[in-house]
Amino acid sequence: MKPFLYAALAGYLVAAIHTILAFVNKRRAVERVSVLALAFGFATHTAAIAADWITDGHYPLFHLHETISFLAWTLVIAYGLAVYRYRAQQALGVFTLPLVTGLVLLSHVMRGTAVGAPPERVLSGDAAWLFPVHTTLLFFAYASFFVAFAASVMYLWQERELKLKTFSAIFHRLPSLTTVDDIGTTAAGAGFTLLSLGIVTGIAWSSSRTGRAWHNDPIEIFALLTWVLYLALIHYRAQWRGRKAAWLGVAGFGLVLCTFLGAILMGGYHVFG
Amino acid sequence: MSIVLIGLNHKTAPIEVRERLAFTDDACAAGLRALVDGEVVREGLIVSTCNRVEVLTTAGNGREQEAAARVGSFLCESRSLPRESFTEYLYTHRDEAAVRHVFRVASSLDSMVVGEPQVLGQVRHAYTLAVDAGTAGRVLHRLVHHAFRVAKRVRTETGIASSAVSISFTAVELGRKIFGSLKGATVLVVGAGEMAELATKHLTSAGATHILVANRTERAARELAQRFGGEAVDYERLSSHLGAADIVICSTGAGEYIITPEMATRALEERRNRPAFFIDISVPRNVDPAVGELDNLFVFDVDDLEAVVASNVREREREAERAELIVESEVMQFQQVLRDLDLGPTVGALREKLHAIARDEMKRQRQRLGDLTPEQEQAVEALLLSTVNKISHPIINRLRRSYDTGEEDNVKAWRDIFQLEE
Repeated sequence: MKPFLYAALAGYLVAAIHTILAFVNKRRAVERVSVLALAFGFATHTAAIAADWITDGHYPLFHLHETISFLAWTLVIAYGLAVYRYRAQQALGVFTLPLVTGLVLLSHVMRGTAVGAPPERVLSGDAAWLFPVHTTLLFFAYASFFVAFAASVMYLWQERELKLKTFSAIFHRLPSLTTVDDIGTTAAGAGFTLLSLGIVTGIAWSSSRTGRAWHNDPIEIFALLTWVLYLALIHYRAQWRGRKAAWLGVAGFGLVLCTFLGAILMGGYHVFG
Repeated sequence: MSIVLIGLNHKTAPIEVRERLAFTDDACAAGLRALVDGEVVREGLIVSTCNRVEVLTTAGNGREQEAAARVGSFLCESRSLPRESFTEYLYTHRDEAAVRHVFRVASSLDSMVVGEPQVLGQVRHAYTLAVDAGTAGRVLHRLVHHAFRVAKRVRTETGIASSAVSISFTAVELGRKIFGSLKGATVLVVGAGEMAELATKHLTSAGATHILVANRTERAARELAQRFGGEAVDYERLSSHLGAADIVICSTGAGEYIITPEMATRALEERRNRPAFFIDISVPRNVDPAVGELDNLFVFDVDDLEAVVASNVREREREAERAELIVESEVMQFQQVLRDLDLGPTVGALREKLHAIARDEMKRQRQRLGDLTPEQEQAVEALLLSTVNKISHPIINRLRRSYDTGEEDNVKAWRDIFQLEE
């Protein structure tokens, strides 16, 4: 629904600007505005997605503009959970909220480029209900990986400055090394769990519909690579703690981007509207 | 009325002079009562800290010289010191300069360590003493409260106090940067020197709970451990305790590296790669610099810490420049406050007088106007009052200008013309 999406965009924009201001000026008062604006943006965004679902008659995660908007929505949830748990709102917000704002704007611009119901193959079959579960799980996994990525970047930045013993203005505004390490680990763990479930539901859906579990399309390969990488990251957590783990967090997110963009650009079995 | 401040501080006077001039709380209260006579010295306040002794007063019109002289002899008498022993260190600030000085002191711009937070509390204490002694009047009340506001603004709008400027606090801050919170952290102190003790003190007050002390002479280790409720460990078996420590402070007189990369690697394995922070405040160094190249280990030696301190000091100085701008704009604002405080009653009386004349005339002529509608009635009143205001406006402006340029006679002349009470 257009008005809802407009309102969400406005809320996110205000939240993003105020988070950046709070980050730069270390002001608490500005932070409150950011939280309220974000809550408002999230509420209206949720309403917009729900309204789309009702009016369009299909789960709003098929056309490209829907995916982008949904991705922004999952990012806000992941960010909210991270902030609730670790109180690192300013630094994480500087990463997340401008991206969320940009995605919602993009979704808004792309609206109307694709209309109509999704193709038959998505809606047919006994296990059709699995498809939205599959996509939703994966999007939440992507959002978690983004948080892990942001935490990794903050880790690497600080670790470098601590080793070089020269500190920039940004250094003093980031959460502590241990905190960002924790955020990264937790987010990667959550993302990995969601990714596993997403892949399993995807395979189940696909095999129940066509009998084939694997299609060798780029997105599947990238997803598998991502899964292996995060599995290694979690398994060797103790040995690789710190800098190595942070680099893996960055690399993992690179693969996630490939998976996501691959779905859009490279075509294959996984095609979005 | 004008503000006079006389005093000395760490920049102008050596410690021997400052300590002899310092006031205890009781001496402060008694001194203030003796100093303030309500005539020459109308109000008074004494700020006495280890870094400064300052007497802030307000003097009656044209009696600033007298007031300053009185404060000088007051200091001689109350401290029983010969005048020559301290006059050369004194500075005297008047009016705008005095206001600026008070604001700078309260905002910690005049402190030995710029941005240190104690001075505001000391000014607050001095003010309380003056209030209790009954020597703070309308001007000082406003001045001091304004100074509190300036200090708060400086604190929140600049980063003047945001970074550590001592080695031991810098160590704590870096520890926080690595571990987040130091609550429950384990600190291994190697060597029982004074610096190590200071750093440990700061770390424990930041939340570190387990203190292990290793020292070549075991007695010193036990003593230090006892002071922090920690335990002494065997110096010879240092490497077996390294893994338990989140923070290691080294300050031995050993001539060689006592913590080697091999020891650190083993400790890291034991810690399952959890980060550790080495503070090496010994010269020659005790921690092999190669330890700092290992992942998850952060080594800071004295030079590193001092470099951080220096950069923090520079940061504070940069912020202090911004703070000076805030002080400057607040000084201007306070001039306005003072003017209103001084001139306000005169301006009010003038307006009141002219309005009273207008109302009296209206009352006398009202009958001749006959019946008027409410609108007409209002119009007549508006006509009268706006005429009065238009006439008084340039007079008030002139009054303000005269006041600002110090032409007290002019202000007095206008008062006489309209027979205004002061």
